[in-house]
Amino acid sequence: MSVERPRDVVALAVMTNRMEGVVRKMTNTLFRTARSSLLNTARDFSCCICTADHDLLVMAESLPIHVMRGPDLMCAWLAQCHPRPTRGDAFLHNSPYRGNSHAGDHCVLVPVLDDQGSWRATAVVKAHMADIGNAEPTTMTATARDVYEEGALIFDCMKVQEDYRDVEDVIRMCKTRIRVPEDWYGDYMGMIGAARVGERELARVGEEVGWDAFDHYVEDWLDYSEERIRATIRKLPAGRRAGSEMHDAIPLPGVEEGVEIKALVTVDPQAAEIEIDLRENPDCLPCGINLTESTAATSALIGVFNSIDHTVPRNSGSARAIKVLLRENCCVGIPVHPASCSLATTGLAERLGAIVQRTLAEFEDGMGMAAPGPECPPATSSLSGRDPRHGGAPFVDMMILGNSGGAAHARGDGWVTNGETSDGGSMMRDSTEVLELLRPIRVWSDMIVTDTGGAGRFRGAPSLYVEYGPVDTDLEVMYAADGTVNPALGARGGEPGALLRPFMRRADGEVIQLDPWGHVILRPGETIISISSGGGGYGPPHERDAEHVRHDVTEGWVSSERARAVYGVELADDGSVEQAATAALRSEIAAGGVERPAGDDSVLRLIAPGERLWPTAPSGGD
Amino acid sequence: MRLAADTGGTFTDLVVERGETVRLYKASTTPQDPAEGILNAITLAARDAECSTRAFLSEAEVFIHGTTRAINAILTGSTARTALLATRGHPDMLLLREGGRTDAFNWTYGYPDPYIPRALTFEIDERVGSQGEVVRALDEQATLAVLDRLAEVEAEAVAVCLLWSIANPVHELALGRMIAERLPGVPYTLSHALNPTLREYRRASCAAIDASLKPLMTAYLRGLEDRLHEHGFGGRLLMVTSSGGVVDADDMAAAPIHSVNSGPAMAPIAGRHYAALDGQSENAVVADTGGTSYDVALVRRGRIPVTRETWLGLEYEGHITGFPAVDVRSVGAGGGSIAWIDSGGLLHVGPQSAGADPGPVCYGRGGAAPTVTDAAVALGYIDPEYFLGGEMALDADASRRAIAAQVAAPLRLGESEAAAAIMAVATERMIQSIEEITVNQGVDPRTAVLIGGGGAAGLNAVAIARRLGSPRVVIPQAGAVLSARGALMSDLMSEFATAFFTGSDRFGHEEAQRLLDELRERCLRFAEQAAPGVEPQIEYIAEARYRHQVWQLDVLLADGRLDTQQALDRLIEEFHTVHEDVYAVRDERAVLEIVNLRARVTCPLGGGAQDPVALEAVGEDEPSRRVYFPRTGAVDAAIWRLEAMTTGRSVTGPAIVESSFTTVVLNPGARAERSASGSLVIVPGSEDAAAAGIGSGEAVSGG
Repeated sequence: MSVERPRDVVALAVMTNRMEGVVRKMTNTLFRTARSSLLNTARDFSCCICTADHDLLVMAESLPIHVMRGPDLMCAWLAQCHPRPTRGDAFLHNSPYRGNSHAGDHCVLVPVLDDQGSWRATAVVKAHMADIGNAEPTTMTATARDVYEEGALIFDCMKVQEDYRDVEDVIRMCKTRIRVPEDWYGDYMGMIGAARVGERELARVGEEVGWDAFDHYVEDWLDYSEERIRATIRKLPAGRRAGSEMHDAIPLPGVEEGVEIKALVTVDPQAAEIEIDLRENPDCLPCGINLTESTAATSALIGVFNSIDHTVPRNSGSARAIKVLLRENCCVGIPVHPASCSLATTGLAERLGAIVQRTLAEFEDGMGMAAPGPECPPATSSLSGRDPRHGGAPFVDMMILGNSGGAAHARGDGWVTNGETSDGGSMMRDSTEVLELLRPIRVWSDMIVTDTGGAGRFRGAPSLYVEYGPVDTDLEVMYAADGTVNPALGARGGEPGALLRPFMRRADGEVIQLDPWGHVILRPGETIISISSGGGGYGPPHERDAEHVRHDVTEGWVSSERARAVYGVELADDGSVEQAATAALRSEIAAGGVERPAGDDSVLRLIAPGERLWPTAPSGGD
Repeated sequence: MRLAADTGGTFTDLVVERGETVRLYKASTTPQDPAEGILNAITLAARDAECSTRAFLSEAEVFIHGTTRAINAILTGSTARTALLATRGHPDMLLLREGGRTDAFNWTYGYPDPYIPRALTFEIDERVGSQGEVVRALDEQATLAVLDRLAEVEAEAVAVCLLWSIANPVHELALGRMIAERLPGVPYTLSHALNPTLREYRRASCAAIDASLKPLMTAYLRGLEDRLHEHGFGGRLLMVTSSGGVVDADDMAAAPIHSVNSGPAMAPIAGRHYAALDGQSENAVVADTGGTSYDVALVRRGRIPVTRETWLGLEYEGHITGFPAVDVRSVGAGGGSIAWIDSGGLLHVGPQSAGADPGPVCYGRGGAAPTVTDAAVALGYIDPEYFLGGEMALDADASRRAIAAQVAAPLRLGESEAAAAIMAVATERMIQSIEEITVNQGVDPRTAVLIGGGGAAGLNAVAIARRLGSPRVVIPQAGAVLSARGALMSDLMSEFATAFFTGSDRFGHEEAQRLLDELRERCLRFAEQAAPGVEPQIEYIAEARYRHQVWQLDVLLADGRLDTQQALDRLIEEFHTVHEDVYAVRDERAVLEIVNLRARVTCPLGGGAQDPVALEAVGEDEPSRRVYFPRTGAVDAAIWRLEAMTTGRSVTGPAIVESSFTTVVLNPGARAERSASGSLVIVPGSEDAAAAGIGSGEAVSGG
């Protein structure tokens, strides 16, 4: 079909900078104007541009789990539902069965049309809403047996703007169902603003360079991206390896023993392709942790992109060299209605990415990554209640503090504020002061925990200890945590990170363990204690640079006991490394001859009654 | 006489204002002893004035100084051994920052260290709540033990950041007293006093950076003052700040964070002057090109926008200064930026730079990688015989060879096409940085004059202006020393802030007015002390947002009043307008929240002198040389010496206008004229118009 045409290398370089600029403008608009802290502080949203053929063209700084696969599927579906859109149209979409990540992510799709009305590109904005009108005040329900119990309103490419004006029927429906409707509408307006900025900027590009030149650029850019990744894969070692991970149990029939998922990873340098086969996995599960087509494929892609040259562009072009094999009605495949995919961006998505990158690590030293700490600890809960400072006004929001630790990789320690591998640490975290200003809560603690990062040549990031509770009111807290039983595993001899542990401190000071799938109503004087999971280590701990171990001890990341027992590093009284003793200890460890002492529990020590600040009820008074 | 000296990485620029005239001098920077470089530049100026350095300096009433001393100390890790005191339970503010990463897939490095190590961070048993209530009283006994520990670990400075000190500073103040008593002579910074802003990480980072600079900046400023006095200076030493003003050297020593990033803050002051003078515009994009970076700032309706989002190092991963500073975006695209091709055949320019040493290939100092400067030489834009006024001969053949081998061959392009491609990519990166800041600050570049500062600004200023749709480009005569020129135009400035959290639905007019009056008092006290006899200007600012947003916009309060409903209504209307300017939407139904009130006091210091228009007697012959443009290919372009252009004389592209410190490329279709102030004013026009033989009908200068 296409005529042989020389690649315009100048346009390629210039336009690529420009397209990233368009996405950054979209991103800035939503970040600065949104109303929920999930968007305006944690930045749990993404913007991207898809082509006329519904390929992902550019994602800039978006969250990988939101966009690497999915916007392409959604745009293709939009074209089936609305083949001839007109200028001024915008569509609201969140169907997990039609390309979206999970129902909690609302998407606004705006087709960009040329003067003749031809569809040239699509501006896509996807944002994790604080509330979408579910049965319970959270967008992430692990224990929902199906989408009905989850209670999500599903918008399947519904026209939400016509002629640049809201279709009020849809808005009224949302406002009737979604909690704290003014905040939802504020966030929705920010999304529309962002999508319109993208539309305007793309229209300018079309006007200035011509739409045919734009199409040529698109073709060249996707081809270039494909060439880049194929050149990278050609240099990798060949092989086929299987990997697996275990997701924690959920108290529902069929999943009460936990869920094991597997991936078969094939690297074929000759064909310059990587294949991830996910078909040998359980059917859709009767709970909320099923992945969607978007997040199953994306998680596999993330595992691959985490393991190769990071300068390879991420788009539909480079994705051509990575075959992800999915099957219908599979918990890590293509879900079938009415399976619930409420947690499709976290639990199994994290596990799946971890399998792929840990398996790739086994191909060759220097490649791949360990597993990141599983999510989501109660420091990332949905919070709801009434604010006594504002006449009892209701609120629903999701806090993002103290998420799990990042995985160690071949060239460095785990990222402390990683949160989830599915966003590669790009999400922001809340500020204690902003949280306390916006919501009637107090954050008593926000700090790392010694000895919780998976040991290794490179160390996993540590757990974070966050303690918070309500001020002069009740607080409804909902979270869905994985990793209280199955930790983040290491890679190439690296060790697992610490487990995720949810606790509650009663008003009388007693600390009790909470369920991993928690729904708690806190009274004044009570607090949640959230210990996130640590990331896995990379490579054997006794190969860690002894100076790095010394630094870890000085800085409180690792205790001197653990430095000796696990890393084989002896420190002198002045803190310096005892070279000879360390060398001897390390060869002993390498030979497998050192028994580890049980060690005490750094978490329990940290949160023991009286050890840290905790509120003496009633709180807040002076 | 007034002097301004700007110590940069390579050069120390000196601007001398004597009566109505302004003169410029440059000397090499002497990093070991920066005062030496300053005195060398002063010696040049004294020689020019035909007097001794002592006699020259004794004439100066004011010496304004900008320095990269503070930022260099941070970059090289040579700041003081600083401890952090934090609220119990929150020792990791500087480690955890605000989250975020610049590239989700770049796993080539580990997690960045906090600005102050955890080993020097100490928790203080206390807690204040969001309403300013004391939730847990300060444990003074435990605190004294911590302070003794600070002495043991030999802390040289202390930063204090307690939660909600902005709502109630009682515990931070108590800590300040205890430090002064227990650790006499150890400088400290209290977060609420330095920068009363919401978000504990930002306050902590600001306090930490400030405290860590105190010992060294105090020593530096004292040393400089002594040296200047030794050489006869008896006037006032003022320091430029990152917010675009100047303060007394003693005030800078007390809060040296103001010095961080003060370098790029001065160029927009000069830019504003030239935009109004030569561009007849209140809006400007001020670009300052260096060897490694391209700095962009704005002038919006005659004001220079500030930001609190300045990072040292990478965004999210470095250290935020947290202070209102002139909003400057930097992109790694300067004359020294290196062009390279990745494994898939995509051309990149920067961020790697050949810097000043070895520099571009054409410098002949061992640089092997082609740079933007090499591309400009290969295209015929820069005359290899007349670089820096002929002080340094360039090897044009070496530039061409490097481009041919490293860019043209792999891309299968002609040599000139390849050089033009390098310029195009560098240009696009610069345009992106301009678009980013204009969209953030809500300025439409089509209403803004482009001010080109720095030696390399003129190479692609026309190309940039065309893409942005800017009506005019102004290349000031003092463009090469824009920062130092700006310093001479800057005013004594200080800013005071007070937390005031309220909503438009429950607004307390009396309280608001009381706080504004207090701010006014503080401004007047500052003015009386700093500039007696000068009429101060005071500006009042409310930081506001829609309820449940968390990022504020600055709204000017025209008369500093909020005591009536009408005054509040004006504020609300102004907020809607600013919000729409910046974010394209307004939400009339939302409640407005006010978070902070600020007052900025400005005491003008003069600075009205004009740049000289030096008219050298150069013949009227018009030499030309072959110059390559992307659309036309190689053409004969007229070569003009800037000094030889008389006021009102118009030049049409293709042409090159050059002086001893800059080269301006006039693409076909562009038209330039020399203004009365000596600037080159360009109407960018378009290539199409040029091709069709249509001149840009518009007059170049409006006056």
